[in-house]
Amino acid sequence: MSEMRAAIAAEWTKLWTTRTVWWALVAALVLMAAGAGQYAIYADNGDVDPALLRDGVVPPGTVAVLALAFAQLAFLALAMLVMTGEYSTGTMRATLTWIPARGRLLLAKSVVVAAVTFVAGTVAGLVGASISVALIGGRVSAGPVLGIGVYLALLGVFAVGLGAVLRGPVVTLVVLLMLVVVLPPLLQLPEIGVLTAIADGLPGVAGNHFLLGDSDPYAPGLGLLIVTGWAVAAFLAGRGELRRRDA
Amino acid sequence: MLITLERLTKTFGSTVAVDGLDLEVRPGRVTGFLGPNGAGKSTTLRMILGLDRPTSGRALLDGRPYAAYSWPLRKIGAVLEAKAAHPGRSGRNHLLAMARSNAIPASRVDVVLEQVGIAGAARKRTGTYSLGMGQRLGLAGALLGDPPVLVLDEPVNGLDPDGVRWIRELMRSLAAEGRTVFVSSHLLSEMQVTADHLVVIGHGRLVADAPLDEIVAGHASLEDAYYSLTSVR
Ligand SMILES: Nc1ncnc2c1ncn2[C@@H]1O[C@H](COP(=O)(O)OP(=O)(O)OP(=O)(O)O)[C@@H](O)[C@H]1O
Ligand SMILES: [Mg+2]
Repeated sequence: MSEMRAAIAAEWTKLWTTRTVWWALVAALVLMAAGAGQYAIYADNGDVDPALLRDGVVPPGTVAVLALAFAQLAFLALAMLVMTGEYSTGTMRATLTWIPARGRLLLAKSVVVAAVTFVAGTVAGLVGASISVALIGGRVSAGPVLGIGVYLALLGVFAVGLGAVLRGPVVTLVVLLMLVVVLPPLLQLPEIGVLTAIADGLPGVAGNHFLLGDSDPYAPGLGLLIVTGWAVAAFLAGRGELRRRDA
Repeated sequence: MLITLERLTKTFGSTVAVDGLDLEVRPGRVTGFLGPNGAGKSTTLRMILGLDRPTSGRALLDGRPYAAYSWPLRKIGAVLEAKAAHPGRSGRNHLLAMARSNAIPASRVDVVLEQVGIAGAARKRTGTYSLGMGQRLGLAGALLGDPPVLVLDEPVNGLDPDGVRWIRELMRSLAAEGRTVFVSSHLLSEMQVTADHLVVIGHGRLVADAPLDEIVAGHASLEDAYYSLTSVR
């Protein structure tokens, strides 16, 4: 247990001693603020999916969730760089001499990323919702804001695990963008049942179902479970690759 | 502490990088690790550190693999070929994270920074370090946990003349304190005045494992002895 604590302390120190984390967090907040402003104006003009309306208005939390489509990219970049940055800067071998237990290292990275993305994600959610309140009124409720933190923490673990499998920052980012951003609309647009069902199983779409609290096509809780499943699967795959392959 | 290699073998595709090495590296002396480019030195050292998985055979430290140690930096310090530090992190923060990973007191960081002579640049990003400063930072990391074993892959690379002399004396004093020092190098004249014992490999196989005096005996220098050893193969 003390080895685990030490590994987390080391990864925590590493995270906060390069500039990457600051750029990513600033970018996340800027994207959230800009996105929330934009969606709040759309909502005010009635340019949003009517299904999102509650008592005739779009709740602030929902505006923050919509804006997350942009802001999550900064969180994804931050999370995947914690892993792939070790390979691109050539420090992975050194890191593994500090912490040779592959599972422990990956868990330490995942814990640090989840903690940071949870807190920063919740703050970003609060910022997005507050901007919506300032522009179109309403009240911020804790549920969706904390939900954003939870979703981003799981997405962060997913990105770390995927980075451990793929190693390269570019390929990892491309795969993440495909799964979270590019594929969902491509699969949903033709409105073919099986393709839509596949899209519903992707982490970003499942996260949206969870965050928007809609029960179509499945309960929000199942959305959370699906995102968790992606995170756990990526973690296990990453651990397997770290153990199997040379550093 | 003893480094033991048992029939250690590593293949990359069709390349046999390390071929059935049996070896014991003992404490209390500097053991030089020699061999031509591509002989398998770095691969051997990476297997000792648990970075490359042996195709067959084992590399052990006092009977246990590297990964079996809870706090490996307190058992074995290493300088690898690869850069150890993120270019955007300061040398001091790099060592601080390293110390935390193995529950080493943070006070050791300043001790080793002084010891390797880069305390003045400790707060600069390592991306701005010269080649020799990077080597010194690597050595600082190797010494951080005050380990009984040191494994150094070409640590003299890029050091200035003062640095070369300094590391020679450092290795000799570490060995005199009873530590195991295993160092690869191509600088034969330097090895001749640093090593007590030599291990020579070629094409992944053991060519010689003997005291320096024995290897040099009958030759004008280690360089001559090395050529006659490696050209036989
Ligand atoms: N990751 C790898 N993938 C494929 N081949 C490799 C890998 N690492 C080493 N090799 C090969 O294994 C052999 C031994 O390489 P190694 O780096 O261990 O030699 P070395 O003795 O350290 O050489 P040098 O003196 O040049 O540092 C070489 O043929 C090299 O090409
Ligand atoms: Mg080498």
